[in-house]
Amino acid sequence: MSGRMTMRSKSYPGAGRGDILLGFVGAFLVYALWESGFFTADAWADFNRRFYQNFVKDDRYMMLVDGLKSTLFMTAGATVIGVIVGLILSVIRVAHKGGLHIPVLNKLAETYITVLRGTPAMVQLLIWNFTIFASARDLNTQYIAILAFGLNSGAYVAEIFRGGIESIDPGQMEAARSLGLTYWSSMKFVILPQALRNVVPMLFNEFIALLKETSIAGYIGIDDLTRAGQNIQALTLEHSQPLVMVAIIYLIMVMLLSNLVKRLEQWLSRGRRG
Amino acid sequence: MKKFLALLFVLALCSCAFAEGEKLRDTDQLKTERLAAQRGTVGQFVAEDLLGDNKATLLTTYEKYVDAVAALRQGKIRAVIMDEMPAKRFVNEVDGLAIMDKALTEESYAIGFRKGNDDLVVSVNNILTEMKAEGVLDAILEKYYGTFLAGDSSSIKPEDIDFNKGAEGGKLYVGTEAGFAPYELKVGNGFIGIDVEMCAYIAKKLGRELVIINMNFDALPTAVSTGKVDMICAGITVTEERKENMDFSQNYVTGVKQVALVRADDYEK
Repeated sequence: MSGRMTMRSKSYPGAGRGDILLGFVGAFLVYALWESGFFTADAWADFNRRFYQNFVKDDRYMMLVDGLKSTLFMTAGATVIGVIVGLILSVIRVAHKGGLHIPVLNKLAETYITVLRGTPAMVQLLIWNFTIFASARDLNTQYIAILAFGLNSGAYVAEIFRGGIESIDPGQMEAARSLGLTYWSSMKFVILPQALRNVVPMLFNEFIALLKETSIAGYIGIDDLTRAGQNIQALTLEHSQPLVMVAIIYLIMVMLLSNLVKRLEQWLSRGRRG
Repeated sequence: MKKFLALLFVLALCSCAFAEGEKLRDTDQLKTERLAAQRGTVGQFVAEDLLGDNKATLLTTYEKYVDAVAALRQGKIRAVIMDEMPAKRFVNEVDGLAIMDKALTEESYAIGFRKGNDDLVVSVNNILTEMKAEGVLDAILEKYYGTFLAGDSSSIKPEDIDFNKGAEGGKLYVGTEAGFAPYELKVGNGFIGIDVEMCAYIAKKLGRELVIINMNFDALPTAVSTGKVDMICAGITVTEERKENMDFSQNYVTGVKQVALVRADDYEK
């Protein structure tokens, strides 16, 4: 396994040293709870009462479930757009560098990446909703969010793909071309399949990052998971429990996905030499 | 070991109790205290007026009322400046809060429209006049000021409000911030509240289907001026400054007090 690969898997908890950190956090939480008198009968009763109010009464947990659905829907949609846009952008940039003369396309791709990586996703989201799609009222706001997050993600994915393509030995391209394949055919049948294998784990990490980034969707009126927690807060006027519950749900999803990435890395690197 | 020390440090910070000074007696004392308000609300403007030059250092604005009240309970701020009815709900449902007797200002609520959208303003005004004359509005107000604020919030179900689904006249998009009970509140998948029921009635009279768009309060003026929604109805106080950027209907609630929500143990009547 290459050094670069192992570095990636460290970026999210759930593996190796992360467990120690989690242990510390757990110990701290237990201590904090003990310190605040949480382990008394009264505090427990109060906790249970609030838990009932926040999540059980009138099936309020369904608000979180619906929010989670919305979060996953937006993340999935944005990932699809992100991968397509990213792939196109990266191929343009690599092809230009690799000798194909497409200066205008290349400049466009470069500008796109600069602008979308150079402005906060939150600002982009607000601009998409309130400026560009100002008059689109019958359009489901979630689609606007998917577009905004997807195009934003595309700029990052482009750089991931570019790294992946450039990590393939130039000799591969030369060999393919000398066999008579055109530039695009070599790209499609020789370079990209290998590059994809390199970048799949990083794409998953981008997916994980997106999952958390969609938490700003509430700003344009989408009841995603975060906003669902806030809606429960407004309903029960209780601050901590809904928020902590939302955090736990995000954490569980991210840990599951990180674990998946780890397995995927192992599976992809099986049978790889060196 | 380093981690352990860092942990101890965090714990020390957490257990730091905030110092209690003199108790609050009069709203004049608020002029030099740390205050909070929900961003973009009249509570913010009132707090700014109170604090004067100190507003930059003493005023914190939050996106949601629950955040501001959490800060209040933790002692990060001394008072939240907000509308009376939502403040009452906090006092009823959350332990250890009180409202200072003296109100800060008194205003009225109206529905906001894009500037120049005269047709809609006129129709809505006519409907509001009718609702007042026939006692429809009073009935809605009574329902929420009574049963709802008394703590029986589950008695009102969103599915009981008729949104006039599938109306032939098209849709009436109304922007609101559904964290402002008793005026608007998200419950499960739907909405309840004085504003919601009033808008449902208006939509029905207009022959249109009511669509509630739930967004942050400070995004509402943008939403209505860009045409994202037809009108905004979220317990919006009419101010001269707001009149410059949007048109208003007639008032539907008058005598709305801006009050200071404080900790009960920090207040001496």
